[in-house]
Amino acid sequence: MKIVLNRPRCEGHGLCEEAAPQLMHLDDEGELVLDREEFDAADAALAHAAVRVCPVAALRIA
Amino acid sequence: MSTAPLRRVVVVGNGIAGLTAADTLREAGFDGELTIVGDERHPAYSRPALSKALLLDGDDLTSHELPPAGHGAAELLGVRATGLDLDHRLVSLDDGTALPYDRLVLATGSRARRLSALPGELTLRGLDDALALRRRVAAGPSVVVVGGGPLGMEIASGCLASGCEVTLVSQGTPLRQQLGPYLAGVFARAARDRGLTVVESAGAQLADGGGVPRVVLAEGGVLEAEVVLTAAGDIPNTEWLAGSGLTARGAIEVDARGLVRPDVAAVGDLAAFPTPRGRRRVPLWSSAIEQAKVAARALVRGDASPPLRFQPYFWTEQFGLSLKAVGTLPVDGEPEYVDGEPGGGPALMRWPHADGTADVVALDYRVPIPRLRRMTQAAA
Repeated sequence: MKIVLNRPRCEGHGLCEEAAPQLMHLDDEGELVLDREEFDAADAALAHAAVRVCPVAALRIA
Repeated sequence: MSTAPLRRVVVVGNGIAGLTAADTLREAGFDGELTIVGDERHPAYSRPALSKALLLDGDDLTSHELPPAGHGAAELLGVRATGLDLDHRLVSLDDGTALPYDRLVLATGSRARRLSALPGELTLRGLDDALALRRRVAAGPSVVVVGGGPLGMEIASGCLASGCEVTLVSQGTPLRQQLGPYLAGVFARAARDRGLTVVESAGAQLADGGGVPRVVLAEGGVLEAEVVLTAAGDIPNTEWLAGSGLTARGAIEVDARGLVRPDVAAVGDLAAFPTPRGRRRVPLWSSAIEQAKVAARALVRGDASPPLRFQPYFWTEQFGLSLKAVGTLPVDGEPEYVDGEPGGGPALMRWPHADGTADVVALDYRVPIPRLRRMTQAAA
């Protein structure tokens, strides 16, 4: 499974980083960096929580 | 009070609170029968987007769309709950059926407060409202927005961007009550620069104007426009629970785990939960999500689950400015500038308290929330 970022949509809220800091973070410019795009079953709940919390639907799972 | 074995959970409400509760029930290990009831026919969507990107985006009508739900619940959409029988654990629906449950999540949210029963009074609460407003403002009509809070200001901003002439009626300076005088001043300048007309009034009423209502000000003046929209706060949707004894002061009061009783949780805009300033509703996006997570875990795990530790996050986009705030608004007095400087440009600001904590606001400044949260903790 993979997390996909729609970068133009991202507003840099960072709620996703708060939900899944193991998978992603905002860099010094506030741009989202996916540290691990691919994730396995063990991290599925984290990934889904990060995708769900985004208020502008900039993330999805593929 | 005994609780039944956990086989069936019903979630009433398909907004972000109900959706998050359903997701979290699954994550917490609940693999039984899960049913979500939603009175809108739409799948769950992002409500904050309705008054922001969705009003501004050209032909892209997708900014409110959320990823599909993964909880595998039976979804009853376009169906409204009409009653609750706590003794028999039954939710009755407006299609004449009833749903039995072992655990129940109340997440029916709130609705726009209206100033009249006139059909011409527009409000913006749901997706259909937003799509209707988009259609109405596309041709650039004159607009009066009644209400100077964040929602009214976002709508006014969106209508201005669509080419409308917009007048906003506000009790005092717009946003002052919600953000405090300093930030309200920043937004007032930006709004004025973009052409917003603000009318301050002690109160406004709507009178029948034969189609579009007329706005009658407490001071005696009357405003007329081709579109009149009210943004005057929200009212929890608790009427269907009137016979249950669960409502208090118009809301559902819950404990620190979002529970009304061991088998019933209430989450989102209708729930009043304990905060440092007393038990209150905090009808915001991240509030709904955090409440729903905590309450869903509590329904599955009981007292072993952690209580809510919530620090509000608020954001708004309007008149070309974007604001993000962590902490408790409104803020009094002038801020410390961590970065940037006064004048309304990009800035990171801090309003410190005597105990060293602070409320932190980012204006036109991309910064992750975890960093804002850290800045609320100790002196920067």
